[in-house]
Amino acid sequence: MKLIIGGAYQGKLAYAKKEYHLTEGWLDGGTCPPEAILSCSGIYNFHEYVKRMVNTDNIVSESEQFSRIFLQTDNLSGLEQQAEAFAEMLCRKNPDIVIISNELGYGVVPMEKEDRLWREAVGRICTGLASRADEVIRVVCGMGQRLK
Amino acid sequence: MMHLITGGSGSGKSAYAESQVLAAGPGRRIYIATMIPYGEEGRQRVERHRALRREKQFETVECYTGLAELSLKDKITQTTAEGAAFSSSSKDTMVLLECMSNLVANEVFEPDGAQERTVEAVCEGIRRLRRQTRHLFIVTNEIFSDGITYDPETMRYLSYLGAVNQRLAGMADAVTEVVYGIPVRLK
Repeated sequence: MKLIIGGAYQGKLAYAKKEYHLTEGWLDGGTCPPEAILSCSGIYNFHEYVKRMVNTDNIVSESEQFSRIFLQTDNLSGLEQQAEAFAEMLCRKNPDIVIISNELGYGVVPMEKEDRLWREAVGRICTGLASRADEVIRVVCGMGQRLK
Repeated sequence: MMHLITGGSGSGKSAYAESQVLAAGPGRRIYIATMIPYGEEGRQRVERHRALRREKQFETVECYTGLAELSLKDKITQTTAEGAAFSSSSKDTMVLLECMSNLVANEVFEPDGAQERTVEAVCEGIRRLRRQTRHLFIVTNEIFSDGITYDPETMRYLSYLGAVNQRLAGMADAVTEVVYGIPVRLK
């Protein structure tokens, strides 16, 4: 598994496509069917995928089994454990996936509870993914910097 | 030689960029200022910065929009009128442009700006500027990681600045991110 992170509009997807010679099989995390993450080559906008996980009203999952792994918490305390479980499950079921996520954690604490949950979930899940990843790349100005 | 320098606010990227210009040795030093001074406070702040840079032998040239039209040769008459003498050769001209986030904002939001042609206009301006200089240092800004979805106009601005940063990084000989004063070489 490979994790590509960075701010918005940094050219992360273009970098990953070129670096891994992976032009096809990409999912948009903002719109894809939730369970498709288990079989895709790569997913971009993973932070948007996580947003749908914390805002369960938006999820239309046909797979009952899959919907169980979505975050079932509305508070921060239960988040870390569930984020860890999700990262573990994802890496086990799709060990070759390339995951691209925006970094969201460099601003003021959001006013809305849902935004706070989202930001925290992205941080916790990406931390879990990073610990399992073969490599972690941060893209700044289109340039990849290897963090792991 | 073109060097793109990025970093968050308060990261020390300006001080680093200035030190890189000074380290490049003697020559004509030009600072391209891009922030439009609004009101009396803005004018005072700009004048203070101009005075500080004058001590370091920088000429200050304002450019708010239309970088591609900027000719550094034109500026020599102005600066000699101020009493300074500079050689006009591009061989010893060093330019520090600060900050790309302002220049792009001006092009997007000012009435005489390039609007939807911003990315192309700014990159063309940089290509022309590069031909007029021996060393070109460009300071830009990392404002992409707060996770906030702003209004569509602001998101458009962010996407333009991100695209400009990627294009400039591709053109540059060196790219550095400054993290709390520590230069991290990206290219």
